[in-house]
Amino acid sequence: MKSRFLLIPAYALVISAPVQATVYLSVEQAQALMFPGATFTPDFVTLTPDQMKAIEKSSDVNVLSPDLKVWRASTGGWFIADQVVGKHEFIPFAVAIDAQGAVKAVEILEYRETYGDQVRNASWRAQFTGKTKDAPLKLGGDIQNISGATLSSRHITDGVKRLLATYALVLANQKS
Amino acid sequence: MSLASAYRSRGLRAFFALVVLGLICAPGARAEESQFGYVYTTDLLPKGAKEVEQWATWRRQKTGGYFDQLDGRTEFEYGLTDKLQVAFYANYVWARAYHNGPFGETTPPEPLSYDRPGPDDRYNARRFVGFSGEAIYRLLSPYTDPIGVAVYIEPTVGPAFRELEAKLILQKNFMDDRLVTAFNFTYAPEWRYDIVDGDPTRKKWGYETDVNANFAASYRFAPNWSAGFELLNEHEYNSYTFSKESNNGFFFGPVIHYGGKKLFITATFLEQLPWASEHSDTVAGAIVDRRIYDNDFEKYRVRIKAGWYF
Repeated sequence: MKSRFLLIPAYALVISAPVQATVYLSVEQAQALMFPGATFTPDFVTLTPDQMKAIEKSSDVNVLSPDLKVWRASTGGWFIADQVVGKHEFIPFAVAIDAQGAVKAVEILEYRETYGDQVRNASWRAQFTGKTKDAPLKLGGDIQNISGATLSSRHITDGVKRLLATYALVLANQKS
Repeated sequence: MSLASAYRSRGLRAFFALVVLGLICAPGARAEESQFGYVYTTDLLPKGAKEVEQWATWRRQKTGGYFDQLDGRTEFEYGLTDKLQVAFYANYVWARAYHNGPFGETTPPEPLSYDRPGPDDRYNARRFVGFSGEAIYRLLSPYTDPIGVAVYIEPTVGPAFRELEAKLILQKNFMDDRLVTAFNFTYAPEWRYDIVDGDPTRKKWGYETDVNANFAASYRFAPNWSAGFELLNEHEYNSYTFSKESNNGFFFGPVIHYGGKKLFITATFLEQLPWASEHSDTVAGAIVDRRIYDNDFEKYRVRIKAGWYF
Protein backbone atom coordinates (compact mmCIF):
# COMPACT_ATOMS: atom_id res chain seq x y z
CA MET A 1 0.00 0.00 0.00
CA LYS A 2 1.25 3.45 -0.81
CA SER A 3 1.71 5.64 2.20
CA ARG A 4 0.10 9.04 2.25
CA PHE A 5 3.28 10.16 3.97
CA LEU A 6 4.77 10.33 0.51
CA LEU A 7 2.28 13.05 -0.34
CA ILE A 8 3.89 15.51 2.06
CA PRO A 9 6.51 16.66 -0.45
CA ALA A 10 3.69 17.05 -2.95
CA TYR A 11 1.72 19.28 -0.57
CA ALA A 12 4.86 21.26 0.05
CA LEU A 13 5.56 21.68 -3.65
CA VAL A 14 2.01 22.72 -4.41
CA ILE A 15 2.21 25.55 -1.92
CA SER A 16 5.58 26.69 -3.27
CA ALA A 17 4.05 28.78 -6.01
CA PRO A 18 6.56 30.59 -8.24
CA VAL A 19 7.55 34.00 -7.02
CA GLN A 20 6.86 36.95 -9.32
CA ALA A 21 9.91 37.85 -11.36
CA THR A 22 11.42 41.26 -10.75
CA VAL A 23 11.80 42.87 -14.16
CA TYR A 24 13.93 45.99 -13.92
CA LEU A 25 14.28 46.80 -17.61
CA SER A 26 12.69 45.50 -20.80
CA VAL A 27 14.96 45.07 -23.82
CA GLU A 28 13.57 48.27 -25.33
CA GLN A 29 14.12 50.24 -22.12
CA ALA A 30 17.69 48.95 -21.86
CA GLN A 31 18.39 49.88 -25.48
CA ALA A 32 17.12 53.41 -24.93
CA LEU A 33 19.17 53.71 -21.75
CA MET A 34 22.40 52.34 -23.20
CA PHE A 35 22.24 54.02 -26.66
CA PRO A 36 20.20 57.22 -26.15
CA GLY A 37 18.51 58.42 -29.31
CA ALA A 38 19.57 55.43 -31.43
CA THR A 39 17.39 53.13 -33.49
CA PHE A 40 18.05 49.40 -33.56
CA THR A 41 18.22 46.77 -36.26
CA PRO A 42 17.89 43.15 -35.16
CA ASP A 43 20.81 41.00 -36.30
CA PHE A 44 20.10 37.73 -34.51
CA VAL A 45 22.83 35.15 -34.90
CA THR A 46 22.89 31.38 -34.59
CA LEU A 47 26.42 30.36 -33.69
CA THR A 48 27.93 27.40 -35.46
CA PRO A 49 29.54 24.62 -33.40
CA ASP A 50 32.96 25.84 -34.53
CA GLN A 51 32.17 29.41 -33.48
CA MET A 52 30.97 28.18 -30.07
CA LYS A 53 34.18 26.22 -29.60
CA ALA A 54 36.27 29.23 -30.62
CA ILE A 55 34.40 31.49 -28.17
CA GLU A 56 34.83 28.99 -25.34
CA LYS A 57 38.53 28.62 -26.13
CA SER A 58 39.06 32.37 -26.25
CA SER A 59 37.03 33.24 -23.12
CA ASP A 60 37.33 30.03 -21.09
CA VAL A 61 33.58 30.35 -20.48
CA ASN A 62 30.90 27.89 -21.60
CA VAL A 63 28.48 29.05 -24.32
CA LEU A 64 25.00 28.37 -22.93
CA SER A 65 23.07 28.73 -26.20
CA PRO A 66 23.92 29.09 -29.91
CA ASP A 67 21.15 31.67 -30.27
CA LEU A 68 22.36 35.22 -29.85
CA LYS A 69 19.98 38.19 -29.60
CA VAL A 70 21.91 41.05 -31.15
CA TRP A 71 20.87 44.49 -32.40
CA ARG A 72 22.94 47.03 -34.31
CA ALA A 73 22.64 50.58 -33.01
CA SER A 74 22.21 53.36 -35.58
CA THR A 75 24.77 55.45 -33.70
CA GLY A 76 27.38 52.69 -34.00
CA GLY A 77 27.85 49.68 -31.77
CA TRP A 78 25.98 46.59 -30.74
CA PHE A 79 23.35 45.71 -28.15
CA ILE A 80 23.29 42.08 -26.92
CA ALA A 81 20.58 40.63 -24.66
CA ASP A 82 21.70 37.41 -23.02
CA GLN A 83 21.52 35.46 -19.77
CA VAL A 84 23.78 33.71 -17.28
CA VAL A 85 23.16 31.02 -14.67
CA GLY A 86 21.99 32.27 -11.27
CA LYS A 87 21.58 30.35 -8.04
CA HIS A 88 18.03 29.26 -8.91
CA GLU A 89 17.20 30.80 -12.28
CA PHE A 90 18.85 32.48 -15.23
CA ILE A 91 19.82 36.13 -14.87
CA PRO A 92 18.87 38.09 -18.04
CA PHE A 93 21.31 40.94 -18.72
CA ALA A 94 22.35 43.21 -21.58
CA VAL A 95 25.72 44.41 -22.81
CA ALA A 96 26.26 47.47 -25.02
CA ILE A 97 29.46 47.32 -27.06
CA ASP A 98 30.73 50.41 -28.85
CA ALA A 99 31.98 50.59 -32.42
CA GLN A 100 35.55 49.92 -31.23
CA GLY A 101 34.60 46.68 -29.46
CA ALA A 102 34.72 48.00 -25.88
CA VAL A 103 31.97 47.65 -23.28
CA LYS A 104 29.81 50.77 -23.19
CA ALA A 105 27.51 49.59 -20.41
CA VAL A 106 26.07 46.53 -18.65
CA GLU A 107 22.49 46.34 -17.37
CA ILE A 108 20.70 43.65 -15.34
CA LEU A 109 17.27 43.18 -16.93
CA GLU A 110 15.73 40.83 -14.36
CA TYR A 111 16.88 39.47 -11.00
CA ARG A 112 14.90 36.69 -9.35
CA GLU A 113 17.38 35.31 -6.79
CA THR A 114 16.99 35.50 -3.02
CA TYR A 115 20.32 37.26 -2.50
CA GLY A 116 22.97 38.97 -4.56
CA ASP A 117 21.04 41.79 -6.21
CA GLN A 118 23.99 44.07 -5.44
CA VAL A 119 25.10 43.16 -8.99
CA ARG A 120 22.59 45.82 -10.04
CA ASN A 121 24.62 48.52 -8.31
CA ALA A 122 25.80 51.07 -10.88
CA SER A 123 29.28 51.31 -9.34
CA TRP A 124 29.83 47.55 -9.67
CA ARG A 125 28.57 47.45 -13.25
CA ALA A 126 30.72 50.48 -14.12
CA GLN A 127 33.81 48.30 -13.68
CA PHE A 128 33.03 46.72 -17.06
CA THR A 129 32.98 50.02 -18.98
CA GLY A 130 35.84 50.22 -21.48
CA LYS A 131 36.75 46.52 -21.18
CA THR A 132 37.65 44.74 -24.39
CA LYS A 133 38.26 41.14 -25.37
CA ASP A 134 41.84 41.49 -24.17
CA ALA A 135 40.90 42.43 -20.61
CA PRO A 136 41.34 39.66 -17.98
CA LEU A 137 37.75 40.09 -16.68
CA LYS A 138 38.55 38.05 -13.63
CA LEU A 139 36.47 38.26 -10.46
CA GLY A 140 38.74 39.28 -7.63
CA GLY A 141 41.19 40.65 -10.25
CA ASP A 142 40.14 43.53 -12.49
CA ILE A 143 36.50 43.02 -11.42
CA GLN A 144 35.81 43.37 -7.72
CA ASN A 145 33.90 40.53 -6.04
CA ILE A 146 30.71 41.29 -4.13
CA SER A 147 30.85 39.40 -0.86
CA GLY A 148 27.53 37.64 -0.35
CA ALA A 149 26.78 37.78 -4.09
CA THR A 150 29.73 35.79 -5.37
CA LEU A 151 27.87 33.40 -7.64
CA SER A 152 25.95 36.15 -9.44
CA SER A 153 28.93 38.48 -9.77
CA ARG A 154 31.14 35.68 -11.11
CA HIS A 155 28.60 34.52 -13.67
CA ILE A 156 27.89 38.05 -14.92
CA THR A 157 31.63 38.69 -15.20
CA ASP A 158 31.99 35.46 -17.16
CA GLY A 159 28.98 36.40 -19.29
CA VAL A 160 30.49 39.76 -20.29
CA LYS A 161 33.79 38.04 -21.07
CA ARG A 162 32.00 35.51 -23.27
CA LEU A 163 30.08 38.23 -25.15
CA LEU A 164 33.25 40.25 -25.77
CA ALA A 165 34.83 37.13 -27.26
CA THR A 166 31.66 36.60 -29.29
CA TYR A 167 31.88 40.17 -30.59
CA ALA A 168 35.54 39.80 -31.57
CA LEU A 169 35.20 36.40 -33.21
CA VAL A 170 31.76 36.67 -34.81
CA LEU A 171 30.06 40.08 -34.74
CA ALA A 172 33.06 42.18 -35.73
CA ASN A 173 33.33 40.11 -38.91
CA GLN A 174 29.65 40.51 -39.87
CA LYS A 175 28.94 42.64 -42.92
CA SER A 176 26.85 45.69 -42.12
CA MET B 1 4.00 -4.51 10.52
CA SER B 2 2.38 -2.94 7.49
CA LEU B 3 2.69 0.66 6.53
CA ALA B 4 -1.09 0.94 6.73
CA SER B 5 -1.15 0.05 10.41
CA ALA B 6 1.79 2.32 11.06
CA TYR B 7 -0.14 5.15 9.54
CA ARG B 8 -3.04 4.49 11.90
CA SER B 9 -0.96 5.69 14.77
CA ARG B 10 -2.46 8.79 16.26
CA GLY B 11 0.93 10.22 17.11
CA LEU B 12 2.15 9.81 13.57
CA ARG B 13 -0.93 11.52 12.19
CA ALA B 14 -0.52 14.41 14.57
CA PHE B 15 3.10 14.80 13.51
CA PHE B 16 2.20 14.73 9.81
CA ALA B 17 -0.44 17.35 10.41
CA LEU B 18 2.06 19.55 12.21
CA VAL B 19 4.60 19.25 9.42
CA VAL B 20 2.08 20.06 6.72
CA LEU B 21 0.63 22.89 8.77
CA GLY B 22 4.10 24.21 9.37
CA LEU B 23 4.87 24.16 5.66
CA ILE B 24 1.69 26.02 4.85
CA CYS B 25 1.49 28.55 7.65
CA ALA B 26 5.04 29.43 8.60
CA PRO B 27 5.88 33.09 8.06
CA GLY B 28 8.09 34.11 5.13
CA ALA B 29 11.66 33.27 6.16
CA ARG B 30 14.94 30.88 5.33
CA ALA B 31 18.50 29.23 6.47
CA GLU B 32 21.40 27.98 4.43
CA GLU B 33 19.68 26.54 1.43
CA SER B 34 19.92 22.80 1.58
CA GLN B 35 20.19 21.18 -1.82
CA PHE B 36 20.66 17.92 0.05
CA GLY B 37 18.81 16.29 2.92
CA TYR B 38 21.90 15.14 4.81
CA VAL B 39 25.01 16.56 3.17
CA TYR B 40 25.99 20.18 3.89
CA THR B 41 27.49 22.56 1.35
CA THR B 42 29.66 25.63 1.80
CA ASP B 43 26.85 27.95 0.62
CA LEU B 44 25.98 30.18 3.57
CA LEU B 45 23.58 32.99 4.26
CA PRO B 46 25.04 36.43 3.50
CA LYS B 47 25.56 38.88 6.33
CA GLY B 48 22.32 39.91 8.02
CA ALA B 49 20.15 37.31 6.23
CA LYS B 50 17.79 35.19 8.31
CA GLU B 51 16.07 31.91 7.71
CA VAL B 52 13.75 29.51 9.49
CA GLU B 53 13.90 25.79 8.67
CA GLN B 54 11.66 22.91 9.60
CA TRP B 55 13.03 19.38 9.33
CA ALA B 56 11.19 16.08 9.61
CA THR B 57 13.09 12.79 9.40
CA TRP B 58 11.20 9.50 9.33
CA ARG B 59 13.24 6.43 10.21
CA ARG B 60 11.51 3.13 9.52
CA GLN B 61 11.98 -0.59 10.08
CA LYS B 62 14.60 -2.48 12.09
CA THR B 63 15.14 -6.24 12.41
CA GLY B 64 11.43 -7.13 12.63
CA GLY B 65 8.12 -6.18 14.23
CA TYR B 66 7.58 -2.50 13.62
CA PHE B 67 9.69 0.60 14.16
CA ASP B 68 8.89 4.20 13.29
CA GLN B 69 10.78 7.22 14.52
CA LEU B 70 10.09 10.82 13.57
CA ASP B 71 12.79 13.33 14.37
CA GLY B 72 11.72 16.95 14.28
CA ARG B 73 13.91 20.01 14.16
CA THR B 74 12.90 23.66 14.15
CA GLU B 75 15.78 25.94 13.32
CA PHE B 76 16.65 29.61 13.05
CA GLU B 77 19.74 30.59 11.02
CA TYR B 78 21.48 33.93 10.71
CA GLY B 79 24.34 35.21 8.58
CA LEU B 80 26.71 36.82 11.10
CA THR B 81 29.14 37.71 8.29
CA ASP B 82 29.28 36.61 4.66
CA LYS B 83 31.52 33.74 5.77
CA LEU B 84 30.08 32.84 9.16
CA GLN B 85 26.59 31.47 9.67
CA VAL B 86 25.15 30.60 13.06
CA ALA B 87 22.00 28.68 13.96
CA PHE B 88 19.96 27.65 16.95
CA TYR B 89 17.43 24.84 16.97
CA ALA B 90 15.23 22.54 19.01
CA ASN B 91 15.18 18.78 18.47
CA TYR B 92 12.28 16.51 19.38
CA VAL B 93 11.32 12.94 18.64
CA TRP B 94 8.32 10.64 18.46
CA ALA B 95 8.79 6.90 18.17
CA ARG B 96 6.98 3.62 18.40
CA ALA B 97 8.50 0.18 18.37
CA TYR B 98 7.57 -3.45 18.85
CA HIS B 99 9.76 -6.54 18.53
CA ASN B 100 12.17 -4.42 16.51
CA GLY B 101 15.47 -5.16 18.25
CA PRO B 102 17.99 -7.99 18.23
CA PHE B 103 16.28 -11.38 18.76
CA GLY B 104 12.86 -9.75 18.49
CA GLU B 105 12.95 -7.67 21.67
CA THR B 106 11.21 -4.31 21.77
CA THR B 107 13.97 -1.70 21.81
CA PRO B 108 13.59 2.10 22.08
CA PRO B 109 15.20 4.38 19.48
CA GLU B 110 18.67 5.74 20.19
CA PRO B 111 17.59 9.23 21.40
CA LEU B 112 15.37 7.50 24.01
CA SER B 113 17.70 4.63 24.80
CA TYR B 114 17.40 5.39 28.54
CA ASP B 115 13.84 4.01 28.42
CA ARG B 116 13.54 0.35 29.38
CA PRO B 117 10.45 -1.22 27.78
CA GLY B 118 9.82 -4.92 28.35
CA PRO B 119 10.84 -7.24 25.50
CA ASP B 120 7.20 -7.68 24.44
CA ASP B 121 5.93 -4.15 25.19
CA ARG B 122 4.44 -1.95 22.51
CA TYR B 123 6.64 1.11 22.98
CA ASN B 124 5.37 4.60 22.17
CA ALA B 125 7.03 7.83 23.32
CA ARG B 126 7.28 11.48 22.43
CA ARG B 127 10.11 13.50 23.92
CA PHE B 128 12.14 16.70 23.69
CA VAL B 129 15.75 15.75 22.89
CA GLY B 130 17.70 18.97 23.28
CA PHE B 131 18.69 22.37 22.00
CA SER B 132 21.55 22.75 19.50
CA GLY B 133 23.74 25.61 18.44
CA GLU B 134 25.59 25.57 15.12
CA ALA B 135 28.28 27.61 13.45
CA ILE B 136 29.67 27.19 9.93
CA TYR B 137 32.69 29.13 8.76
CA ARG B 138 33.64 29.15 5.08
CA LEU B 139 37.37 29.13 4.40
CA LEU B 140 37.22 28.87 0.60
CA SER B 141 34.38 29.55 -1.84
CA PRO B 142 33.58 27.13 -4.70
CA TYR B 143 32.84 30.21 -6.86
CA THR B 144 36.22 31.88 -6.54
CA ASP B 145 38.55 29.08 -5.39
CA PRO B 146 39.23 25.66 -6.93
CA ILE B 147 37.18 24.04 -4.17
CA GLY B 148 34.83 25.22 -1.42
CA VAL B 149 35.89 24.43 2.14
CA ALA B 150 34.00 25.08 5.38
CA VAL B 151 34.20 23.92 8.98
CA TYR B 152 31.15 23.23 11.13
CA ILE B 153 30.64 22.86 14.87
CA GLU B 154 27.39 21.92 16.60
CA PRO B 155 27.00 21.38 20.34
CA THR B 156 23.72 19.83 21.55
CA VAL B 157 22.53 19.88 25.14
CA GLY B 158 19.48 17.98 26.39
CA PRO B 159 18.14 16.50 29.62
CA ALA B 160 19.92 13.16 29.06
CA PHE B 161 22.00 13.87 25.97
CA ARG B 162 25.11 15.85 25.04
CA GLU B 163 26.85 15.93 21.67
CA LEU B 164 29.64 17.88 20.00
CA GLU B 165 29.48 17.44 16.25
CA ALA B 166 32.33 18.68 14.06
CA LYS B 167 32.34 18.61 10.26
CA LEU B 168 34.67 19.33 7.40
CA ILE B 169 32.62 20.38 4.38
CA LEU B 170 34.00 20.28 0.84
CA GLN B 171 32.17 21.46 -2.27
CA LYS B 172 33.07 21.33 -5.93
CA ASN B 173 30.76 22.63 -8.65
CA PHE B 174 30.73 21.82 -12.34
CA MET B 175 28.82 22.88 -15.47
CA ASP B 176 28.48 26.58 -14.57
CA ASP B 177 27.56 25.66 -10.98
CA ARG B 178 24.53 23.67 -12.09
CA LEU B 179 26.12 20.41 -10.93
CA VAL B 180 26.95 20.61 -7.23
CA THR B 181 28.94 17.92 -5.46
CA ALA B 182 29.74 17.92 -1.76
CA PHE B 183 31.57 15.76 0.76
CA ASN B 184 31.26 15.90 4.56
CA PHE B 185 33.48 14.25 7.13
CA THR B 186 31.82 14.24 10.56
CA TYR B 187 33.30 13.48 13.97
CA ALA B 188 30.69 13.57 16.74
CA PRO B 189 31.28 12.29 20.25
CA GLU B 190 28.01 11.98 22.18
CA TRP B 191 27.11 11.27 25.78
CA ARG B 192 23.93 9.72 27.18
CA TYR B 193 22.79 9.63 30.80
CA ASP B 194 21.69 6.02 31.11
CA ILE B 195 21.11 3.21 33.62
CA VAL B 196 24.22 1.30 34.61
CA ASP B 197 24.17 -2.24 33.24
CA GLY B 198 23.34 -4.67 36.06
CA ASP B 199 22.30 -1.93 38.50
CA PRO B 200 18.95 -0.32 37.58
CA THR B 201 19.17 1.99 40.62
CA ARG B 202 22.17 3.87 39.23
CA LYS B 203 22.68 6.09 36.18
CA LYS B 204 25.84 7.43 34.59
CA TRP B 205 27.01 9.25 31.47
CA GLY B 206 28.07 6.80 28.75
CA TYR B 207 29.57 7.82 25.45
CA GLU B 208 30.12 6.81 21.86
CA THR B 209 31.48 8.55 18.76
CA ASP B 210 29.74 8.86 15.41
CA VAL B 211 32.04 9.20 12.41
CA ASN B 212 30.44 9.77 9.02
CA ALA B 213 31.75 10.18 5.49
CA ASN B 214 28.95 11.43 3.25
CA PHE B 215 28.89 12.37 -0.43
CA ALA B 216 26.17 13.90 -2.58
CA ALA B 217 25.68 15.30 -6.06
CA SER B 218 22.80 17.29 -7.49
CA TYR B 219 22.12 18.76 -10.94
CA ARG B 220 19.87 21.75 -11.62
CA PHE B 221 17.80 20.27 -14.40
CA ALA B 222 15.33 23.18 -14.69
CA PRO B 223 15.08 26.66 -13.20
CA ASN B 224 14.50 26.27 -9.43
CA TRP B 225 14.71 22.48 -9.53
CA SER B 226 17.60 20.13 -8.92
CA ALA B 227 17.84 16.39 -8.34
CA GLY B 228 20.59 13.97 -7.45
CA PHE B 229 21.63 11.39 -4.90
CA GLU B 230 23.17 11.07 -1.46
CA LEU B 231 25.49 8.33 -0.20
CA LEU B 232 26.11 8.11 3.54
CA ASN B 233 28.63 5.95 5.35
CA GLU B 234 28.02 6.07 9.11
CA HIS B 235 30.25 4.53 11.77
CA GLU B 236 29.84 4.28 15.53
CA TYR B 237 32.67 3.66 17.98
CA ASN B 238 32.65 2.98 21.72
CA SER B 239 35.68 5.23 22.02
CA TYR B 240 36.92 8.64 20.88
CA THR B 241 39.77 7.18 18.84
CA PHE B 242 38.30 5.04 16.03
CA SER B 243 38.80 1.86 18.11
CA LYS B 244 36.07 -0.45 19.44
CA GLU B 245 33.85 0.01 16.39
CA SER B 246 30.27 -1.12 16.93
CA ASN B 247 28.38 -0.21 13.77
CA ASN B 248 29.05 0.66 10.15
CA GLY B 249 26.22 1.23 7.68
CA PHE B 250 25.76 2.65 4.18
CA PHE B 251 22.70 4.52 2.95
CA PHE B 252 21.91 5.59 -0.60
CA GLY B 253 19.00 7.29 -2.30
CA PRO B 254 17.64 10.15 -4.40
CA VAL B 255 17.21 13.78 -3.41
CA ILE B 256 15.03 16.44 -5.03
CA HIS B 257 15.20 20.14 -4.30
CA TYR B 258 13.12 23.21 -5.10
CA GLY B 259 14.75 26.58 -4.46
CA GLY B 260 12.73 29.76 -4.87
CA LYS B 261 13.20 33.37 -3.94
CA LYS B 262 11.53 33.05 -0.52
CA LEU B 263 11.57 29.34 0.28
CA PHE B 264 13.15 26.02 -0.48
CA ILE B 265 12.06 22.43 -0.01
CA THR B 266 14.31 19.38 -0.10
CA ALA B 267 13.26 15.73 0.14
CA THR B 268 15.58 12.73 0.41
CA PHE B 269 14.75 9.04 0.51
CA LEU B 270 17.47 6.66 1.68
CA GLU B 271 17.66 2.89 1.93
CA GLN B 272 20.37 1.09 3.86
CA LEU B 273 22.57 -0.94 1.52
CA PRO B 274 23.40 -4.57 2.43
CA TRP B 275 27.05 -3.72 3.02
CA ALA B 276 27.24 -3.93 6.85
CA SER B 277 29.81 -6.14 8.54
CA GLU B 278 30.58 -7.17 12.12
CA HIS B 279 33.11 -5.28 14.21
CA SER B 280 34.66 -5.76 17.62
CA ASP B 281 31.76 -4.11 19.51
CA THR B 282 28.82 -5.04 17.27
CA VAL B 283 25.81 -6.17 19.32
CA ALA B 284 24.86 -9.78 18.63
CA GLY B 285 21.77 -10.03 16.44
CA ALA B 286 21.97 -6.41 15.24
CA ILE B 287 22.95 -7.36 11.68
CA VAL B 288 20.25 -8.98 9.55
CA ASP B 289 20.73 -9.60 5.83
CA ARG B 290 23.97 -7.60 6.00
CA ARG B 291 22.15 -4.49 7.27
CA ILE B 292 22.91 -3.08 10.72
CA TYR B 293 19.93 -2.11 12.89
CA ASP B 294 21.56 -1.03 16.16
CA ASN B 295 21.19 2.51 17.62
CA ASP B 296 20.22 4.99 14.86
CA PHE B 297 20.55 2.57 11.98
CA GLU B 298 17.38 1.48 10.25
CA LYS B 299 16.33 0.29 6.81
CA TYR B 300 14.64 3.39 5.41
CA ARG B 301 14.88 7.13 5.98
CA VAL B 302 12.88 10.00 4.54
CA ARG B 303 13.94 13.54 5.31
CA ILE B 304 12.05 16.67 4.31
CA LYS B 305 13.47 20.12 4.95
CA ALA B 306 11.69 23.35 4.24
CA GLY B 307 13.14 26.81 4.72
CA TRP B 308 11.88 30.36 4.50
CA TYR B 309 14.06 33.43 4.02
CA PHE B 310 13.27 36.81 5.47
